[in-house]
Amino acid sequence: MMLRTSLRNLLAHKGRVALSLVAVVLSVSFVSGTLVFADTATATFDRLFASTAADVSVSPKGAGSDDDRQYGGARAATLPDSVVRRVAAQPGVRSAAGDVSVQDATVVDPATGKAIGPTGGAPTIAGNWYETPNPALRITSGRVPHGPGEAVLDADTAGKAGLGTGDALRVVTPFGDHRLTISGVATFTTTNPGAALVFFDTPTAQRYLLGRTGVFTSVAAYGDGSRSDDRVKAEVTAELGPSYTVRTAAESAAQAKVGVGGFLDFMKYAMLGFAGISLLVGAFLIVNTFSMLVAQRTREIGLLRAVGGSRAQVNRSVLAEALLLGLLGSTLGLAAGLGLAVGLVRLIGSLGMHLDASELSVRGYVPAVAYAIGVVVTVLAAWLPARRASRISPMAALRDHGTPAEPSAHRVRAAVGLVLTAAGAAALAGAAASHGGAAGGSLLGLGVVLTLVGFVVAGPLLAAGVVRVLGAALPALFGPAGTLAQRNALRNPRRTGATAAALMIGLALVTGASVVTSSMVSSASSQIDRSVGADYVVRSASGALPPQVVRAVTGTSGLDHVSRQKQVPATVTTPDGRSTETGVNAVSPTYARDLRVPAASGDFGAALTRGISVDQGFADAHRLKVGDPLKVAFRGGATETLPVAAVTADDSELYKGQLFVGLAVAERALPADRLPLDVMLLAAAAPGADTGKVYADLQKSLADYPQVQVKDQADYKALIRKQVDQLLSMVYGLLGLAIVVAVLGVVNTLALSVVERTREIGLLRALGLSRRQLRRMVRLESVVIAVFGAVLGTGLGLAWGTAAQRVLESQGLDLLTVPVGTIAAVFAGAALVGLLAALGPAFRASRMNVLAAIATD
Amino acid sequence: MTTAAAAPFGSPAAGAPAGAAGGAPAVAASARQVTKAYGTGETRVTALDAVDVDIARGRFTAIMGPSGSGKSTLMHCLAGLDSVTSGRILIGDTEITGLKDRQLTRLRRDKIGFIFQAFNLLPTLNALENITLPMDIAGRRPDRAWLDQVVETVGLADRLRHRPAQLSGGQQQRVAVARALASRPEIIFGDEPTGNLDSRAGAEVLTFLRRSVDELGQTIVMVTHDPVAAGYADRVLFLADGRIVDEMADPTADAVLERMLRFSGADAPAAGARPAPAPDALRKGADDRTAG
Ligand SMILES: Nc1ncnc2c1ncn2[C@@H]1O[C@H](COP(=O)(O)OP(=O)(O)OP(=O)(O)O)[C@@H](O)[C@H]1O
Ligand SMILES: [Mg+2]
Repeated sequence: MMLRTSLRNLLAHKGRVALSLVAVVLSVSFVSGTLVFADTATATFDRLFASTAADVSVSPKGAGSDDDRQYGGARAATLPDSVVRRVAAQPGVRSAAGDVSVQDATVVDPATGKAIGPTGGAPTIAGNWYETPNPALRITSGRVPHGPGEAVLDADTAGKAGLGTGDALRVVTPFGDHRLTISGVATFTTTNPGAALVFFDTPTAQRYLLGRTGVFTSVAAYGDGSRSDDRVKAEVTAELGPSYTVRTAAESAAQAKVGVGGFLDFMKYAMLGFAGISLLVGAFLIVNTFSMLVAQRTREIGLLRAVGGSRAQVNRSVLAEALLLGLLGSTLGLAAGLGLAVGLVRLIGSLGMHLDASELSVRGYVPAVAYAIGVVVTVLAAWLPARRASRISPMAALRDHGTPAEPSAHRVRAAVGLVLTAAGAAALAGAAASHGGAAGGSLLGLGVVLTLVGFVVAGPLLAAGVVRVLGAALPALFGPAGTLAQRNALRNPRRTGATAAALMIGLALVTGASVVTSSMVSSASSQIDRSVGADYVVRSASGALPPQVVRAVTGTSGLDHVSRQKQVPATVTTPDGRSTETGVNAVSPTYARDLRVPAASGDFGAALTRGISVDQGFADAHRLKVGDPLKVAFRGGATETLPVAAVTADDSELYKGQLFVGLAVAERALPADRLPLDVMLLAAAAPGADTGKVYADLQKSLADYPQVQVKDQADYKALIRKQVDQLLSMVYGLLGLAIVVAVLGVVNTLALSVVERTREIGLLRALGLSRRQLRRMVRLESVVIAVFGAVLGTGLGLAWGTAAQRVLESQGLDLLTVPVGTIAAVFAGAALVGLLAALGPAFRASRMNVLAAIATD
Repeated sequence: MTTAAAAPFGSPAAGAPAGAAGGAPAVAASARQVTKAYGTGETRVTALDAVDVDIARGRFTAIMGPSGSGKSTLMHCLAGLDSVTSGRILIGDTEITGLKDRQLTRLRRDKIGFIFQAFNLLPTLNALENITLPMDIAGRRPDRAWLDQVVETVGLADRLRHRPAQLSGGQQQRVAVARALASRPEIIFGDEPTGNLDSRAGAEVLTFLRRSVDELGQTIVMVTHDPVAAGYADRVLFLADGRIVDEMADPTADAVLERMLRFSGADAPAAGARPAPAPDALRKGADDRTAG
């Protein structure tokens, strides 16, 4: 019975609940789409890694560990081919193959001179082509590579670059530039995780990629089925001794997953976070819709109560409606989510990571989560209005006021909002004062949540105040339409507050993010101005600079000097007996002129000729002073004892937390083939040289190496700005969802208000208000609400951004920059959003038949 | 209102009431062969059937008739709120049939005042703002002296800052009357303006309307079911089945009542045959009886 009433009510108001439904659908689809996409990706990679891993693989200890990867320029560790033979001879091993695989090669299309392969984070992997029982790739055109002039390219990379069998290819490795012909194109048997792959025959791969024959980077062994992988692993480990890492197929797959999984997880949680925000915003929309539906039905509910309906019944009937709405929204959202997942698969496919959309992995928990979210949020959001509905007295049936005037926000609410906001402000202030202390982050989070909740709770109160101020000019500017709009925006502060709050959330995050990022850009720029003495910076997209690049730079005329920088993984043992795994920078002595690192004690320049420099933080942690000896064990090389020659400041991200030694120290401690490649070159123009011309010359010298970029200071700053902007636009894009939902909320509020005020509108029209004036009235109300949301949003966002900047001050965010342009854009955007949101409702209001409007009961 | 009644109504300073002076035509509004039909085919209802009527300027005209007889429809058509199916409507010299929405809106704004039975006021505006609303919409400045006088007369001087929700039904209705008068329209239409008021409050409003006609030459057309209310008018038009079936000059409540009883007795079968919604007719019938 009750269900039927609820259903009928929903159907009767289908136009009015439609937008709430859209909000639920959007949020649920975003959540379920993200989950399905992440599961699909994980499943695909699981399959890939499980199917392609060798039964047992052997690699030199420490090679390919995550630890090493974080430092650029690390050289591939090798094992001699005798190891392959020893593994092959083990009982239970049917075959063993030596594998060459490095990530420091660059593939260039000689026709265009441009690097081909992934532009995102995925690597370019170069290796040897050999037959295995479960190959990851199969040659689909041409044939396997033979001899020093042939290479095989993966199909995705070839396709993207428009290359095919017979085309020329250039591969730049630390051991030289190699011109080859594509002998064949290979296609992934399962999925391409997004990397670019290039293969040579084994001797070519060894010479080009490792610099000599007879060595491999790992061994892939396949069992004959007589014993388990674990047993083979144990026996191989016993045979080879402790200097090798042996992994079973399962372990290799798990290891491989870590890299991709981290990226996928990050993406998943970021998207879920934004889905959560839009869900929160959607909740406001639902609260408003139900409040208005209840308000419109006040008389009806009063009548129900007058004829004996109990409070609980009224309450239940509203909640039942919410339940139905939630179920419907979740169902549609789930369906839309599958569509979204397919879209995401396509999107990531266009970025080079190929997943199979036909094998969507929809696990049982996804519908469960979708329904839980959709239904719980809807019912919770409807709970307040339902409670209000149940409080409607039977008297309401008898009263005849157009719209029941809602009680203005009461004092309890005001007090709670104020207390929360004050507590939040205190937390933000505390965070700002913590100067990056451990508590800073959590205080910041607490402050953000508290101020947000406080603003939402106090919203109606703020609405009364702020809207009065905002609307004060309206009557003078827009005449009677302005007066009416101002009054309408004020008449129901709770509704105005909730509508604006929805918009506020998105805009606060936009503002906060833009404060942080613009502070990032300005801080980085000022640090560069302060600290970088070099005129030019040379870096590579792959992180490492092969020797020929270094030679090309050094050989360019007009340069005063070129400073090289390497990062060497090392274990540093301090006199207090503790050991720290870290990367030690090994740099040319001229580096001190290119990067001005202030020293609190000692001299930075001196540290580069003898000894080591540590930063203030490291010195404090280990109670170090100039002269203390440090034992530095370079990974893959000798252990050196070096005196602390300088304690450097940690006021800049450019050198905070860094340890420096002279390049000669690393060259002495490490064999040439273990010495990492340079990660960065800093160069200064000779005195009196034309810096612009030298810049052009440098670019010319590096024209052959498209993966390498040379930047002067201005371009370097522009690059940083561009990278930060990219990050920001991603954040904006994701926040767009929340803002779209908020705009739906404004539309919804206006549409419902217009319906609610049918009689008023009729009266106004009868009294001679023109359609134009009427439309203007609705538009102005909408703009006032939206701008009010923008005021709250930018206010909160500025507070959050400022507090965040203070918290991150010690991590290089030392300049607070308020993005005035962005804030102006937020306001202009909010006004525009208000105008757009009002389009439909204003049109509808102006088309209302005057008589029908007056006659409405 | 009794105190207000003592106040001088139209001081010479208030100027000559609109249209009272010579030169203007004696007819404020007229309908010529006006037919208004709703729906088509089977469900077609002829609400007005070739009605000819002239509303005399500076007079108080009442329209009576059984429920569903077309009173509201006639008034809406005369006021330019509704379109006619055929025939012509004139306000003063202007033919309004065929005018576009924009011109009609202007006409209502500048020349016509309204008092509805209920929901006359905007809840967001206070009494004074409601009174000046038509002039605000038109962008005209209210005539201060006149406004004060109207406000004084309706006895609302101390309630001007109150919102409608803070006023009684009678007070609200008086605000509506003040609004209709304040902009000095050529003609004021009221659809059962006292229908929601008790007899005392109704009498206040009617007295006030009467005096605005007598002393200012205001033209008023009022739809009513109440013979007592009709007694305040100069002339009563009786409507039945969408036609003017009778009229009475200088009516008294008793004469109107008697006329109505006679009238409803003679026409009851015809009225019953009309496809008017039964519950509505019943309700109005009950009103008619209690009003008598
Ligand atoms: N919008 C409409 N659609 C269809 N029929 C209508 C419409 N408005 C009025 N009518 C019909 O027109 C006729 C006249 O209606 P009108 O409202 O003018 O009556 P009335 O005399 O004002 O009645 P009452 O005293 O009950 O207010 C009635 O039969 C009514 O049913
Ligand atoms: Mg009527």
